[in-house]
Amino acid sequence: MRKGVIAAALAAIVSAAVVSAAVANTAGPAAPAQVAACTNVTLGFVGPLTGPAGFLGQEQLSWARFAVSKFNRANRTRLRIALGDTRLEAPIARTVARRFVSNRGVMGIIGPSESQAVRVGGNLYERANLAAVSGSATATDLTKGRPFRTFARVVPTDAVQGPTIVNYVSRVLRADNVVVIDSQDDYSVPLATAVIRGLNARNVDTSRESVAADDTDFSSIVANVGNNVDVVVFATQVATAANTLSNQLREQGKRAVVFGTDGAYSPSQYKPRNGYVSVFAPDLNLDPRARAIVREYNRFSNNRDFGAFGPATYMATWVLATAVRSACADGRATRAEVVQRMRRTNVPSIIGPRIRFDGKGDLRGGGSFVIYRVTNGNYRAVG
Amino acid sequence: MDWDKVVQLTVNGLTGGAVYALVALGFSMVYGILKLLNLAHGDIVMVGSFIGWGVLAALGGAQDLRVAVWLLLVLMILAAMAGCGFLGIAIERFAYRPLRRAPRIAPLISALGVSFFIQNSVLLLWGADFRTYNSIDLIDVEVGLSWGPLNVWAIRLIVMGSAVVMMAALWLLVTRTKLGKAMRATAFDREAAAMMGIDVDRVIVKTFFIGSALAGAAGVLVGLVFFSFNYFTGFGYGLKGFTAAVVGGIGSIPGAMFGGIFIGLAEAFSVGYIEDFTRGRLGSAFSDLVVFAILVLFMLFRPQGIFGKPDVKKV
Repeated sequence: MRKGVIAAALAAIVSAAVVSAAVANTAGPAAPAQVAACTNVTLGFVGPLTGPAGFLGQEQLSWARFAVSKFNRANRTRLRIALGDTRLEAPIARTVARRFVSNRGVMGIIGPSESQAVRVGGNLYERANLAAVSGSATATDLTKGRPFRTFARVVPTDAVQGPTIVNYVSRVLRADNVVVIDSQDDYSVPLATAVIRGLNARNVDTSRESVAADDTDFSSIVANVGNNVDVVVFATQVATAANTLSNQLREQGKRAVVFGTDGAYSPSQYKPRNGYVSVFAPDLNLDPRARAIVREYNRFSNNRDFGAFGPATYMATWVLATAVRSACADGRATRAEVVQRMRRTNVPSIIGPRIRFDGKGDLRGGGSFVIYRVTNGNYRAVG
Repeated sequence: MDWDKVVQLTVNGLTGGAVYALVALGFSMVYGILKLLNLAHGDIVMVGSFIGWGVLAALGGAQDLRVAVWLLLVLMILAAMAGCGFLGIAIERFAYRPLRRAPRIAPLISALGVSFFIQNSVLLLWGADFRTYNSIDLIDVEVGLSWGPLNVWAIRLIVMGSAVVMMAALWLLVTRTKLGKAMRATAFDREAAAMMGIDVDRVIVKTFFIGSALAGAAGVLVGLVFFSFNYFTGFGYGLKGFTAAVVGGIGSIPGAMFGGIFIGLAEAFSVGYIEDFTRGRLGSAFSDLVVFAILVLFMLFRPQGIFGKPDVKKV
């Protein structure tokens, strides 16, 4: 009996030592410069491939793969993608970050897709000198104060989206009474707060509701929406949720229209009879100038549906791939060199003007959001 | 008191509750017979939604439907019930039967594994995109009961009606048929039932079939009334169904029905009034707090649930 207790105690001590050594190893001070042979470079994809936002992550991954395939063909490189599924959960995103940081072959991160994943993994990427370029993390605070040195994004921030929505709802729609709904996550809560603050500043009556990110029924929330409400702004990352909300407003005879934020953008899934949606990049499906790339992507993906998230991630991937190729000019590259080149990015974009970053990793000039009006499922840019 | 809102919340709660009751019935039936928490039950609901979606797509989709709407609904429900019933049998055969004599933690872990297996299989087959029945194109939202400011969409009436019919049919099956008697005997004492000549294995298989078929039907109803689903949505319905089963008294069929309706109403009213009751301190997002607080309270003060009987052991 006593021997057993001693053995168990020893085992516990050894396990604790092993675990703390492992933790110290991954979370310790700056990792040594990692030199990679440029014939075998991997880019880590960090996004929600499964879980409630899995469909968005899958769209992003598909466009990231398309970008890598196109880049490899055009530049005779052999870049590859390694997958890191965050399931839209911050603790998992941190584990994924640790895994990529300790993988010597990974020279850059496509993503993280979600702002919360940047928050929990940003310092790990920074310590490891690993460039991370996101195509969808829009939270304003990620690049405020002391931003992560190795992080950049190819999309405008919520500091642009919030005022864009406020302006449209108050000036164009002339709404007097607005309900704002968030989805209790790092993406929607600050955005909903900014929209409410902006609307209140313009003397618009507002009230706030919250739903869970994976809710599929909003009928009881709709019961709280009065008949005098003009607009329901829904900050969500799930387009079908915005569609359900719109249907249930109609079902209960409410006259309010839904105004979805960028996460709701999906012509195949958000099809209200009458509604609006803002998005950080124009929809290539509706842009005649993008016909060639859309055709190419459709061939690559067997006509997979896409919205605005995929093309933005395509650009994030392209920025990283360009930085890696430039760092590899002498046949070998370090992570620090990739970060340096990424900071100096100046490439044409399929979703807007040329991509160049400011000192904090945001788009130079801030970028702009596009507003679409949706009538019986048909999208038309209105702002 | 805003009575229009109260009535609307009641309708919402009854619709959600009817679905939870069907899910809870499956949990209760399996637990009653095997004392096993079938954690994969919510995922069977999700598979039911996908089977219904497959039938709808095969018949032209909501906008180009080739058959009458009533026939479509019947076919969707029957196909989902049959498909999920057989899935339930397969799960029992391969994941639970080999562990019938193992310690109780083993089938529980196996159930968890089955849940992940089903989720990931659906993810692999149909991807992560949300699917929708577009039920608004099947029956317009303006069709239904209208009473003053209250609107009850016809689909909600169909969902509540179908759930009631299925629960009544199950009740008759369990109380009035030979199979029902065998199920009750097996639940009461499996060994004694076997000694009385009941083929216990066959009864267990049939129980899994019926419980899973009800979950399949619930999956179609979920898709019809809540519009969207993907490979992950079964988890939430499983959790609420389990809560309903515990509140009603796990193992008890009337308990599961009552528990489902109770949880549905509790959820709807907490979304509607939590902000007023807490003077703005808690928002509608905390409705699950109320639902799961009810679960905890029941576990603490009445673990056998409302209709369950305390587990008394002779010493």
